[in-house]
Amino acid sequence: MLFKLALRNIFGNGWRSLINMIIIAIMVIGMIWMEAMYYSWIALAKTQQKEWEYAAGMFRVESYDPFDAFSWKESQAPISPELMQAINEGKAVPTLLSPAVIYPRQSMLPTLVKGIPAGQNLLKFPSGKLAGEAEGYVPAIVGTAMAKSTQLEEGEVFTLRVKDSQGAFNTLDLKLVEIMQTPVPTLDIGTVWIDLQRLQELKLQPDMASTVVFNDPVLARLSVPGFKYISEKEFFSWLGEIMKTENMSKYMIYGLLMFLAMLAIFDAQALAVFKRRKEIGTLAALGMTKGRIIRLFTLEGTFYSLFGIVLGLILGFPLFRYFAVKGYVLPEGYDDFGIAGFSEPVIYQYPIEIFINVIGWIMLITIIVSWFAARRISSLSPVDALRGK
Amino acid sequence: MKEEIIRINKMGKAFPTGEGQFWALSDIDLTIAKGEFVGFVGPSGSGKTTMLNVIGSLDSPTTGEVEVLGYKVSQLNQKQSSELRSKHIGFIFQTYNLLPVYSVYENVEFPLLLLKMKPEQRRQAVLDALQWVGLMDKIKSRPAQLSGGECQRVAIARAMVKKPVLVLADEPTANLDTENSHNILDTMQTLNKDLGTSFIFSTHDQKVIDHLRRVVKLIDGKVADDAVQTSA
Repeated sequence: MLFKLALRNIFGNGWRSLINMIIIAIMVIGMIWMEAMYYSWIALAKTQQKEWEYAAGMFRVESYDPFDAFSWKESQAPISPELMQAINEGKAVPTLLSPAVIYPRQSMLPTLVKGIPAGQNLLKFPSGKLAGEAEGYVPAIVGTAMAKSTQLEEGEVFTLRVKDSQGAFNTLDLKLVEIMQTPVPTLDIGTVWIDLQRLQELKLQPDMASTVVFNDPVLARLSVPGFKYISEKEFFSWLGEIMKTENMSKYMIYGLLMFLAMLAIFDAQALAVFKRRKEIGTLAALGMTKGRIIRLFTLEGTFYSLFGIVLGLILGFPLFRYFAVKGYVLPEGYDDFGIAGFSEPVIYQYPIEIFINVIGWIMLITIIVSWFAARRISSLSPVDALRGK
Repeated sequence: MKEEIIRINKMGKAFPTGEGQFWALSDIDLTIAKGEFVGFVGPSGSGKTTMLNVIGSLDSPTTGEVEVLGYKVSQLNQKQSSELRSKHIGFIFQTYNLLPVYSVYENVEFPLLLLKMKPEQRRQAVLDALQWVGLMDKIKSRPAQLSGGECQRVAIARAMVKKPVLVLADEPTANLDTENSHNILDTMQTLNKDLGTSFIFSTHDQKVIDHLRRVVKLIDGKVADDAVQTSA
């Protein structure tokens, strides 16, 4: 009975109802769009980093902190026999890193040199070009950001200077064989890539590595001296940190959207309680309890949001579909942020949790706001209500 | 001797005003028996509607006691008052007070939904009520599509559909022309005789007064006269 009456009242309210529903629909579209953008961007960033850098797991030298340049000097350890076997079987890929200096175009730049086996194919990294020699020089690869900052061009020769494990400085003349397009900026910014063996020889650190990534999750169980296992959660913790910052602005936008929509609901319901006092009095005279009358008005508000949500899903469908097919191209300059996931269009994904969260929150807040507006009925005397006072 | 359904003993009702309180009713002693066709008459402000509101447990007395169908109105909480009205009392208002979004059928059905009556019984009761008031051809119409007389007949059907012991009618003919007023009053008189439902009016309309079997005259919130009319 309450459902039927609430529905009739909403449809009987005409344009006012429609405007409320449209406001809620806009909020639904906005929130789902934003939630999907964050979700899809994180998913893309994770996929890209797994493909290029992490694979299914990683061992990292205990003292190595990628965010602490002072730790890089001591970030090498011998590869254990078990890991070496996995490397030989093509199930794992080691990398070695070292602080270095390069001399492009008569200038001197501190940098990080990383060695990766030229023959690996576990990661997407185009390491094949690092094999052998390039016209008598050691082949090197840098990313587009590094090429831009150093003004290096493909085919250019430059010198690399590295301090070996004995404390002596060794140099190599490198030839830039490829400027790679990588979606993972940590592989690009400030980094020069050469073949692992070359770097091991240069550093006098044969069979040593800074990280070893693998594609067989069973290897995660190995206990490797000098290395620690970096779980996926730990490796991608930076995403969580970014999301914490992003959440602030996201919740502010949600709050604003929610405030506008709830203002419309509150206004409609508070006005309805005022305008429909005679109806409230009649319902009380017919024997309806105040509790049921409040429930009726609360239900009307809830229906506004329910229809608004359905309207939002219908109106938003073409938009959601467009971004699921074409993706969202981030504005120019975002790829300079040094964060994965910004270099190609973010293809939207819409997992069910997004819909449950958005719809759940909107419904909950609408019910509270509607109840808040309707609760003044409890202080309304039936006699005054019948008189329209 | 007929069963007394309403007992009013030294009842007074006051409303707060800026300076103190205004006594709309005072020292009312009255009993009303089952099956009566009685009206409170008097000029505006004499306390007629307040009497109906207190009897209908929409309001409670300030002093004294009002007992309706064995329930002491002042002792009922909000839920019990609603239950009393829902089960035993029908209301007819001057301005009909129909639910505009409901059809004639649905308006009449509404009190039965509150009583949670079974659908089959409900349907029969609604059709019977519409038959009594002669509105079988309008069951799908909305209140906005009806004349004033028709709206008031819907209101009567809505008040009568649950076959209450008591119907309270507040100025039921005030918005109707003479012909419609007579039709409405005839209908209510017939229902009073056929079903034994007690009708209590508040009115200053002579047409209504002429139909009453008992007239309680109120002046300045006090019973000035209480007389049985043999001509009605």
